[in-house]
Amino acid sequence: MSGCALFLWSAAVARACPPLVAFTGSRRALRTSPPIRAFAKELFLGKIKKKEVFPFPEVSRDELNEINQFVGPVEKFFTEEVDSRKIDQEGKIPEETLEKLKSLGLFGMQVPEEYGGLGLSNTMYARLGEVISLDASIAVTLAAHQAIGLKGIILAGTEEQKAKYLPKLASGEHIAAFCLTEPASGSDAASIRSRAALSEDKKHYVLNGSKVWITNGGVANIFTVFAKTEVADSDGSVKDKITAFIVERDFGGVTSGKPEDKLGIRGSNTCEVHFENTRVPVQNVLGEVGGGFKVAMNILNSGRFSMGSAVAGMLKKLIGSDSEVGSAQGGEALGPRPPAEMTAEYACTRKQFNRNLSEFGLIQEKFALMAQKAYVMESMAYLTAGMLDQPGFPDCSIEAAMVKVFSSEAAWQCVSEALQILGGSGYMRDYPYERMLRDTRILLIFEGTNEILRMFIALTGLQHAGRILTSRINEFKQGRVITVMETIGRRLRDSLGRTVDLGLTGELGLVHPSLADSANKLEENVFYFGRTVETLLLRFGKTIVEEQLVMKRVANILINLYGMTAVLSRASRSVRIGLRNHDHEVLLANIFCVDAYFQNLFSLSQLDKYAPENLDEQIKKVSQQVLEKRTYICAHPLDRTS
Amino acid sequence: MSWVRAILLARGLSRGWGGICGATLPGAPVSQVPPQTPRGLHCSATAHNSESSIVPVPPKPQRKPVKALSPYEDLFKQAPGMERDKASFLRSLKNFGEHNVHKRGHVDFIYLALRKMREFGVERDLAVYNLLLDVFPKEVFRPRNIFQHIFVHYPRQQECGIAVLEQMENNGVIPDKETEFLLIQIFGRKSYPMLKFLRMKLWLPRFKNINPFPVPRDLPQDPVDLAKLGLRRMEPNMNAKVTVYQMPLSKDWTGALDPTQPHIVGIQSPDQQAALARHNPSRPVFVEGPFSLWLRNKCVYYHILRADLLPPEEQEVEEIPEEWNLYYPMQLDLEYSRSAWDDYEFDIDEVEEGPIFAICMAGAHDQATLAKWIQGLQETNPALAQIPVVFRLAGSTGELLTPSPGLEEPARPPPPEGQEEEDTLQQQQQGQS
Repeated sequence: MSGCALFLWSAAVARACPPLVAFTGSRRALRTSPPIRAFAKELFLGKIKKKEVFPFPEVSRDELNEINQFVGPVEKFFTEEVDSRKIDQEGKIPEETLEKLKSLGLFGMQVPEEYGGLGLSNTMYARLGEVISLDASIAVTLAAHQAIGLKGIILAGTEEQKAKYLPKLASGEHIAAFCLTEPASGSDAASIRSRAALSEDKKHYVLNGSKVWITNGGVANIFTVFAKTEVADSDGSVKDKITAFIVERDFGGVTSGKPEDKLGIRGSNTCEVHFENTRVPVQNVLGEVGGGFKVAMNILNSGRFSMGSAVAGMLKKLIGSDSEVGSAQGGEALGPRPPAEMTAEYACTRKQFNRNLSEFGLIQEKFALMAQKAYVMESMAYLTAGMLDQPGFPDCSIEAAMVKVFSSEAAWQCVSEALQILGGSGYMRDYPYERMLRDTRILLIFEGTNEILRMFIALTGLQHAGRILTSRINEFKQGRVITVMETIGRRLRDSLGRTVDLGLTGELGLVHPSLADSANKLEENVFYFGRTVETLLLRFGKTIVEEQLVMKRVANILINLYGMTAVLSRASRSVRIGLRNHDHEVLLANIFCVDAYFQNLFSLSQLDKYAPENLDEQIKKVSQQVLEKRTYICAHPLDRTS
Repeated sequence: MSWVRAILLARGLSRGWGGICGATLPGAPVSQVPPQTPRGLHCSATAHNSESSIVPVPPKPQRKPVKALSPYEDLFKQAPGMERDKASFLRSLKNFGEHNVHKRGHVDFIYLALRKMREFGVERDLAVYNLLLDVFPKEVFRPRNIFQHIFVHYPRQQECGIAVLEQMENNGVIPDKETEFLLIQIFGRKSYPMLKFLRMKLWLPRFKNINPFPVPRDLPQDPVDLAKLGLRRMEPNMNAKVTVYQMPLSKDWTGALDPTQPHIVGIQSPDQQAALARHNPSRPVFVEGPFSLWLRNKCVYYHILRADLLPPEEQEVEEIPEEWNLYYPMQLDLEYSRSAWDDYEFDIDEVEEGPIFAICMAGAHDQATLAKWIQGLQETNPALAQIPVVFRLAGSTGELLTPSPGLEEPARPPPPEGQEEEDTLQQQQQGQS
């Protein structure tokens, strides 16, 4: 049976993309450049690393054809055969749907070809993600399987482990799950309770513990499990350290609880997984013994960027799918219209006061918002994917986290606005909007909550900037006259107003002249952001870890800056190569840049200690008073004293 | 001519005074007037109090207990079976009105009623005060011409009205519109009771919720409930759990408690529990007390379980584990720290104290009772079984004890007279027993 499935699947792959394999192999070999420093970290120093982001990453004509040939059948399948409403109501993905997904090869998208996967590059993975996200339950199931479930084996597995597990995982014969979260441990690795003890013959680890909220926990055969083991330190002392294991369900002692009843993504399987005296061979240790923390971090960091394109795909469908645009772009027929009428169609047909909804300004605004958000997150996602596809394993974890934060929040906002366009109908179960709203809510929570990712974005960048600025800040603190005078002089010059030129515009500029104003705004923001970061480091030093409100703003600014860079880069390319509707892109890019510019200015002024916009002290005081009493403490408006 | 000058003088004074007290009574008469000045026609029949002052002298009946029964005492006398409550008090007020249609002697009656209010349990009832003010005859005491305005008109009645308001104020009763209406009817708009009323109306509502930690007006009678309330007030952590280790045997809560089994109520927060678990067993912990805590008019006593502050070399420095947070770094690897101008903390010399692990309130303050508390604590704090417990109890439950010895003062100061020191080192090795 499994052999048959494998055959079907490989046949499908062969049919879909014959030259794909050869192409991905050659592309990696072609580019050679020294290892690169990530773009976002340099923003903290007030610099734009233009080489990283200009021009916008492209794929070759051949590769594009391959992607489109592959995307076509998948999209057809999703629009015609997947019934998202039924999946949501029944809380289960039907077997035949899963079988079809397996035969399309979607369970091994990033598994290297030598292990039977598709070996897609990050860009192509992102492109496929656009299609797969049309059903959230399937997208989450697939993401849990390959973005985190089997990613550990690809990233840290030995040759034997890869050869043993990856083929079956890539074919979908086995499903993977990622077991990290415990009742007492969310992002706190120190409170992991699961334990693995080496057996007396030193051939097995005996694993005990419980994991909660495991996506695919009920259906998976292969688990990446994190548990504490005793590890002898270099100085001889024994310490508890986290180790990652590949656990098969057949090892025994693995039980899963009943599926959780969730708000959204109801078709995906989420449950508790218990390990009771599960005997794991020592060969199944993933990475080093005691090195599980790093494995977990790498897996989590690598899986995030694809949310951008996935949400963009969903938003584009939400506005309405136009086959004409699709065919012009890709040169192949995309799927037919989705069964439910989408928002644009609704707005153009529904009449009120003898006018179409589309003629009302407040409705138009919502469409502009959706288009803008979709455009920005698409740009960010593919820019990040392009960066990741560069040779030398660049560290783009900040960029990926920014894409995740931006796209999840935009998704929630846009789906809510789309529902609003339909008014009462949107609230009804007959329409897909309430389901999409429920499904998108999880995006803000999983793969690291947005709050946690903001801390990650800000702290990683501040650490980088802090190291580089160390000598300067130390000189300043010791009161070296030259440094102090220089800083004061710089402040004075900044406050008198200066034109910042980081070289994006001008003759032979990287940004097209139609976007020059926006590019100048970006340059100004980046420059003053660098100054603000320096001030913040000077003020707080390493204790900035405690200043979460400050870091939230730093992260927000950085996300905006990255979005601005991405849209400027993409729109410039579109204008220059003359893509369809590039004037529309310029419009969207300019709208977003102006919007983000003023948001950034506001955030920057909030970061100023004495600014009237800075309400941190008051905010902290209010929450402190509320939390002290653990209730809302104001008197009722109808209360009287006498 | 001389009295004209006196009037002018008085008006000038009153204007200045009116400005001070918020212009509530512009041109109100001041009683700094020579006694020979003529009085209005509606002077009170009683002798005017010649020693005049701005603040009316509290009425005499309040100062010294009257030996002789006041003439209206029998109005408040009850039939043996009747209870003293609001209804019977109101009946007495009504009886006075029926008994005396002309309201003769109402001032004496009101003073008497004010004294009786507490007995009837109506001293906090606004409606009763309003009915009491209603006893005054209306319109009679209102000044009708400029001279009456200048001089205190019917001073005895005004003082009586002020006495009613004063008692309201002392009991925290805030007057309402009806009170205002009655006072205007009785004394007029520019009178001393009205001035008092305005001030009460201004300040009492503002002060009503001034206490951020309000004590309930009626304290529970049950000593166990009272102890729970007191413990909750002392423990800032809302996660803390109150445990009743022992209920009193005697069913008679309010009476003398059974000395063999007094109540023991304790409180302990999870943080305290954790701190006790971390405590080094070679260092003793102390049971100290009793210390007093006042809840309105009741005093309760509590004991604490505490330890001495660790010497600096033994204090553990909390370190951040290396692999802790899966998502973001918990600390930055930088050499510099917060600047002085972003250090929001005030420069306060803080005296560090040793940890307090638990508090209890017990019906008795002897060692046997408190040992039961420690035994009860051991159920939730197994570590306590390994730690020696020293009882440092002062025999007297009178006033505050001398402060517990700090680090710099290891020797306990000699106990004051009447206190017996029971320093008993009780090794409680529960594991052996």
